[in-house]
Amino acid sequence: MEFHDDYPSYETMYNHDEAYGKKARRTLWNVFWIMLAITIGELIVGFMAPGKGWSGSVWLKIFFISFTIIKAGYIVIAFMHLGHEVKFFKYMILVPYLLFMFYIIFIVLTEGTYSGQKANVTRVDPILIQQQLDLQKGHGHGSGHEAAAGHQEAPKEEAHH
Amino acid sequence: MAHTAEYDAKEAWSGGQSPFRVSYGKMFMWFFLISDALTFGGLLVSYGFIRHKYAEIWPKAENVFTHFPFVEQHLPLAYVGLMTFILIMSSVTMVLAVEAGKRMDRRGVLIWMFWTIIGGLAFVGSQAWEWFHFIKGTDTGAMRNVWDMATQKYVLQEWHGANMTVNEYGVPQFANYFFFITGFHGTHVFSGVVINFVIFMNAINGTYEKRGHYEMVEKVGLYWHFVDLVWVFVFTFFYLL
Repeated sequence: MEFHDDYPSYETMYNHDEAYGKKARRTLWNVFWIMLAITIGELIVGFMAPGKGWSGSVWLKIFFISFTIIKAGYIVIAFMHLGHEVKFFKYMILVPYLLFMFYIIFIVLTEGTYSGQKANVTRVDPILIQQQLDLQKGHGHGSGHEAAAGHQEAPKEEAHH
Repeated sequence: MAHTAEYDAKEAWSGGQSPFRVSYGKMFMWFFLISDALTFGGLLVSYGFIRHKYAEIWPKAENVFTHFPFVEQHLPLAYVGLMTFILIMSSVTMVLAVEAGKRMDRRGVLIWMFWTIIGGLAFVGSQAWEWFHFIKGTDTGAMRNVWDMATQKYVLQEWHGANMTVNEYGVPQFANYFFFITGFHGTHVFSGVVINFVIFMNAINGTYEKRGHYEMVEKVGLYWHFVDLVWVFVFTFFYLL
């Protein structure tokens, strides 16, 4: 038993004839050659980089990342056919994703700068050092709790044991 | 032709049709790909974070992946370039299969999907080869300090290759990220090959001929292109930068 409604048939909506297919295939092969050229260019630059002293320079990073984004754009627009979808669909796919990615990159760039600094290490160290000392002395859990009395998570640990 | 048809924004949202003009299957394949892309994005961002935090001691990929099959030479980037070529090529054959499906050309779909599956298998095999050489390490190896329980002293030990805790080429974190990100991507490639094979068998059996459209090829094609898309980023951030 099949279900019918008067919705348009989206599965066959983007079907096309031979004439259009020929044009589409030419576009796809052009995209392939562009992507191949970009990849070979990237490899040549990556191969030359250590000898020329480019390694780790900002311009090299900008070069690689921008060409990567160009390639990604070609894949999404031409191969994944997003360029031919309806405007609303493009926005629904791209906007939330880019929003999240820019957010996480922003957070890493701003909040990540102080990770590993001394100010943060010392905040953790006294407890760790005390625990290590207790372990070396061979004391049980009891002394460990006394040492970490000021630590907020101490009651939780007690319940755990 | 729906490709060029003008589409009125007011009419689109007035009901009786999907304003996005896609079937639910394709739309949810896109939703899945978005969530998967967020996972990969998170992994690559965390890789970049750790890499810059330990910029001075981070090993350079061109000094790590220098092998090429059957060639006894120092060839950085050549092998990964070949892998990238294989994956881009299989992406092209996939999109040609999708195009053939839109013309209801069963023969075209079968030919191009066959080559896509071959390309996917070649990529997974190449990755296995690369992992093998990374784990096995170089002949020279590296020296490392190991705590000797008997003498209570550090002794020097020769070490070859990399695993989750020890890495000949540098910090172990590099090996962990390499295993996790390329492994996660390789899992996607492998499952993509399996799904491609299922769709290929369906196309042989004429399932889509009976159904009247080859949209399943398009959906699995979306997944396959996504795998290629992720590799483009892994290639840049892991091997080039």
